[in-house]
Amino acid sequence: MADDPISDLLMSVAREDRMAFRALYSQAGPKLMGVLIRILKDRSEAEDALQELFTRVWLKARAFDPARGSGLSWLIALARNLAIDRLRARQPLMDDDSALEVVPDAAPRAETRLVARGEARRIGECFDTLEPDRAQAVRGAYLDGLSYQDLADRFAVPLNTMRTWLRRSLLRLRECMET
Amino acid sequence: MTPLPSSVPPDDMDLRAAEYALGVGDAAQRQAVEAEARRNPALAARIADWEAHFAGMNGDYAEAPLPDLLPQIEARLFPKAPAAPRREPFWRRSFGLGAGVAAILVAGWLAFIPQKPDLVAALAPQPGQAVAFRAAVTGGEMTVALVSGDGPGEGQDFELWIIRGDAAPVSLGVLPADGERLTLPDPTEGAVLAVSLEPKGGSTTGAPTGPILALGPLTRT
Repeated sequence: MADDPISDLLMSVAREDRMAFRALYSQAGPKLMGVLIRILKDRSEAEDALQELFTRVWLKARAFDPARGSGLSWLIALARNLAIDRLRARQPLMDDDSALEVVPDAAPRAETRLVARGEARRIGECFDTLEPDRAQAVRGAYLDGLSYQDLADRFAVPLNTMRTWLRRSLLRLRECMET
Repeated sequence: MTPLPSSVPPDDMDLRAAEYALGVGDAAQRQAVEAEARRNPALAARIADWEAHFAGMNGDYAEAPLPDLLPQIEARLFPKAPAAPRREPFWRRSFGLGAGVAAILVAGWLAFIPQKPDLVAALAPQPGQAVAFRAAVTGGEMTVALVSGDGPGEGQDFELWIIRGDAAPVSLGVLPADGERLTLPDPTEGAVLAVSLEPKGGSTTGAPTGPILALGPLTRT
């Protein structure tokens, strides 16, 4: 892929290239360490998570699809999911039964390919469609790995109120980005 | 911006994809969405779309000093065979026999299983690996034996997984050192058994974190 060295390295790692794996570690490592420290807030836990992250990178590199996005974005998504799963494992479950309902899917509709074609509007341009504190909630959730409970506590509102706020914000962002 | 064709996925599924990609759910919700995404490619695609949207914020993550953890990572992913075995393979210990006699036992070990097993599996070494196992299932019980190569080294364990069809591997536990029987509640012909190298105590993630050493399908005897 033109101009995405991390993507190229990931594809080599997918072919079990150990030198590429080492190069990927040094090139993407500092950013990934930054993600893990920001979310886990503890350097030693972040170092532990970094080891697990790169183990998963080696095992899952074949799942990386360069057509879907940059190599670094794929790695950051992997890092965030790992870090957030660790955070959530420490926390009690939300006292909210409706959150656990698996809503049956309606008849499947064709998925939008707008995002995959790179034609979606960028999220940065869409934050001003939200009120400032809602935009802050979305950004905080993403960058710091905050849970619904964390956000509810931070904004001093009930859990269900925060869920409604956030869902409406996500719908509004989607409308801005995908239409 | 070209208009969106009227093919937006249902809001409930799309919001679950967005919430998952954002990370706000609790542990139970996240696991439920992950499991659903493994079965439902449309959900998996929407999660990927939302991750791509949110990636627009990645510029706000600062870099941090990178420790050199490559040696530990590589030791786990690419273990070197120890020069001398650190531990006798458990099947040798349980039969209390020397190497020469043990070789004969390998060929005929199934004869020592009291009943004819329902299903067996020969777990052949993966490229670059040197361990092989055989498994035999009788009713809901399975015995697994190391038939070549060495047992796990210091601080490591062998963990057994079963892979049914396209599903993610499910752990059957760390292989016991003394050849005890494991329970296998739903033995299915064709399901693949795999052994991975894990840290002592096994994987903490619910999925293999170390290399797959050997694997093979369960077949009828």
